[in-house]
Amino acid sequence: MNSALSLWLFYLLCVVFAPILVLGTIRKTKARLQNRIGPPLLQPLFDLVKLCRKSETLSKTMCGIFRLASVISLADMLLIAWIAPWLCYKPGPDSADIFLIFYLFALTRMFTMLGALDSGSAFGAFGASREATLSLLVEPAALLGFISIGALTGSSDLLQILSFSNAQLSGSPGIWLLVGTAVLLANLVESSRMPVDDPTTHLELTMVHEAMILEASGRNLALIEYTHALRMTILLGLSVQCFMRAIPSIWNAEPAVQGLINLTGIFFLAVLIGIFESISVKLQWRKVPEFIAYSLTMSLLASLIAIGGRAMK
Amino acid sequence: MKYKTDSARLNTTISPLSQTDATAANYRKRNANLVPSALIFAIASGVLLSLVHQGNHLHLIRTAPPMVLGVFPLSFQCDGLASLFMGLLSIILISISFYSPSYLNHFKDRIQMGGYWTAMFLFVGSMYGVVLSADAVTFLVLWEIMSLSSAALVASDYSHRVVQKSAMIYLGATRIATALLCGGFLAMHAVTGSWSFADWTFSSSSSYVAGCLILLAFCIKAGIWPFHIWLPYTHPAAPSTVSALMSGFTIKIAIYGIMRILVCGGLNSPEIINLALFLGAVSTFWGILFALVQNDLKRLLAYSSIENIGMILIAIALGLKAKLAGLEALALVAFVAATFHCMNHGLFKSLLFLCAGTIDTQAHTRDLRRLGGLAKQMPWTAACFLGGSLAICSIPPLNGFASKWLIYQTFFKTTYETSSYLDRGIAFAGICLLSVVGGLTIATFVKAIGVSFLGNARSKSAEIAREAKLGMVVAPLFLLIVCVTLGVGAAQSVPFIAKALVETPGLQSLASPDQLQATVQFPIPMNMIALSLFSMSALIYMFFLKTSRTRKYSTWDCGFGTLSTRTQVSSDSFAQPMARIFRPILKYQAKLKIDGDDCRHFPEKVNVEVQMVSILESRIYLPTLALISHASKYLAKLQAGSIHLYLLYVCITLVVLLLVGVHL
Repeated sequence: MNSALSLWLFYLLCVVFAPILVLGTIRKTKARLQNRIGPPLLQPLFDLVKLCRKSETLSKTMCGIFRLASVISLADMLLIAWIAPWLCYKPGPDSADIFLIFYLFALTRMFTMLGALDSGSAFGAFGASREATLSLLVEPAALLGFISIGALTGSSDLLQILSFSNAQLSGSPGIWLLVGTAVLLANLVESSRMPVDDPTTHLELTMVHEAMILEASGRNLALIEYTHALRMTILLGLSVQCFMRAIPSIWNAEPAVQGLINLTGIFFLAVLIGIFESISVKLQWRKVPEFIAYSLTMSLLASLIAIGGRAMK
Repeated sequence: MKYKTDSARLNTTISPLSQTDATAANYRKRNANLVPSALIFAIASGVLLSLVHQGNHLHLIRTAPPMVLGVFPLSFQCDGLASLFMGLLSIILISISFYSPSYLNHFKDRIQMGGYWTAMFLFVGSMYGVVLSADAVTFLVLWEIMSLSSAALVASDYSHRVVQKSAMIYLGATRIATALLCGGFLAMHAVTGSWSFADWTFSSSSSYVAGCLILLAFCIKAGIWPFHIWLPYTHPAAPSTVSALMSGFTIKIAIYGIMRILVCGGLNSPEIINLALFLGAVSTFWGILFALVQNDLKRLLAYSSIENIGMILIAIALGLKAKLAGLEALALVAFVAATFHCMNHGLFKSLLFLCAGTIDTQAHTRDLRRLGGLAKQMPWTAACFLGGSLAICSIPPLNGFASKWLIYQTFFKTTYETSSYLDRGIAFAGICLLSVVGGLTIATFVKAIGVSFLGNARSKSAEIAREAKLGMVVAPLFLLIVCVTLGVGAAQSVPFIAKALVETPGLQSLASPDQLQATVQFPIPMNMIALSLFSMSALIYMFFLKTSRTRKYSTWDCGFGTLSTRTQVSSDSFAQPMARIFRPILKYQAKLKIDGDDCRHFPEKVNVEVQMVSILESRIYLPTLALISHASKYLAKLQAGSIHLYLLYVCITLVVLLLVGVHL
């Protein structure tokens, strides 16, 4: 088997299974910390399969944009998985513009919000309103982080930003750590994880994502759940990529080792999220901007480094 | 008895006649809109064809000065920049000509069509003329015709009190703009001794005052903060055809003026550039923040225009800054970004205004609190509005993303190409600003679509609304197709605009045509993105979702029984979390009042009132106006209509002049 084909196979396996395993890992970690055995790692997959066999209930109020939204979201997320360098080795285009990736994320978000408004239910609509608020705050934080490194590299192309032979950034692991953390914190907000939103509890307590997809069922719900997990995995992958650049020994390692570290890093972060979700409580809605401020602070520090960085040369 | 039969016979003989009379009159009335619309279509497509026909020869007409009208020669000239804007105007006009006949039929009792069309033709002609004019006097004359005819158009439906007020506000704004413009032009004439734009350069400090005046005049016309007050009044009051044209093109003429006079004139005063950057940044943020909390669909769109025009001004200012720093390639990217965003905003904003007009005529309201569920009854309008919203939210692969990406690139390149720390910081802040504004735009338009098109109808009139006539559907659809084409073909349209700009006198120094490929690129394969998004969506739908079994049921109601339309999210409540974050700027207040004997446990009446005060209007403009009208009362006493008094003035003036003469 030639290498290109195996690369493709590896990539497809990652796209299909990594999101499921990441969700499974978080659930397993939380269960272990609560002294439960917990569901098997592949439980999210079994859930998806079960959802696919079920029939779908649609609201009479809906016009069609509801189902269109989940289809477009998945297509868009797969496109991002294809473009963005969240894995070390993957087939894909030779450029991944950071603004493009951010606005592709915005496409998914916009359609999810529209889908939530389609049923005329107040749950979905308030979820959408909160999602809009969160994204408004978190987007600058994540974008600014990548832009700071981009400014040091002189390119808005993520592949060039992350390219290993980048001599300019070899001496500054700090900026990578800052950006990686900023993206990780932003991911918690974007993926509606614990301190912002609780994805596992009863409806009244889940305020953002679960509220938006309340009306979804059957295959439609399966699509949305998978899209959501894939989004989280891509963002985790991006922060792992940043963390990897912070450690010079990984920087200079063999390609195969790097790929392995990348994957294990994603699951390590998933375990971290699980631990974090077990020991923290959900923040009051009005406190959420303060949490996002941590992410923004990291990015601002990174941008300060970028402002000063080039002038020293 | 006999008399009665006679009268009955009389009636029968007369009535068919009067009926045919009525239908003929009706027919004529409808034709009255059809013929001028066709004429507008002919003019616009003629201009467009001649532009296309010229192909790579963008110098279309070069009428030498002696085209004498009155005492002063008017001169016209068409170069790359002008032909881009003429193309934009033509496309908007073509779509408006589809839209007008059916739309104006709804207004046939309220608008005098003769006056409307006269003003419309003057407006259209003068807009073409302003774009083509090559010297200050021509520009000013046509600019005045444009302003006055558009004010007349805004006032077409003048039976309403609101319309009268809006027309007066608009007229006031244009007067101030013209005054400043005259001042600037006169000052420039004093400096250079010429009226021709080609001779005007703003590179010496003597021309800075003129430059500043001209910039402010155009800012008023463009609706830049803090002169944006007229926009949210004018657009809701004007017929949708007019507001589409005004928001789509008239405010871009101001941008064109800035490009033509200040940018081509090589403005190099850092203070003026920083002023433009500051005003642009504030209006971007201010516009979208106020758009988010509006309840009138057209007002919302008007505020969103302020945001976009601010973004365009930012791009121009960044370009001037880069040019000042000697970064020619970056300056070109910035100017291409500004021009491209002008085009794109012109297209999708007219699209959205036309859709808003369709909603207005079909549901008889633009108030978001009374709309809802229109997508099921008006699927085509809904699809167009959705497409336009995606474009304005700069979602790839639509054209809004292409131009927004260029603006982002301008900021991004400034972060590492300039040497000054301050400029780099400003660029980072600008990227932050743009992404916050992007988030707010998405929230605003999700609200606009979600509240008007999705969910359940909130009023009887929204419930019985039906899809509009063919023309009113085709017009936005046409604009949507242009938007998609420009976006998907961004790899071609961006170099095309760059080429047109480089051929403009005054901008030629930025890059020679053969350097162009290297400086302005659009590296994102928008066509591939569109193709893969479309094909993947189709595949997922065909093989996964289409085959799933579905059943229709009511929306989840928590077991409380049928949901009323009041249980949906309202326009105000959707925006509330964001409005709360920015409440110091918005002066956002929500008053909650619960009535009842034991209101703590058994509320009988719950009353929520959301209130917002525009600080600028209540604290600055209204007091200033009051002051002026108060002062003019005293001034009016001077002109009392008494000949004795006037003779006294003549006498005093004579004495004063004599004294001055003696002393000198």
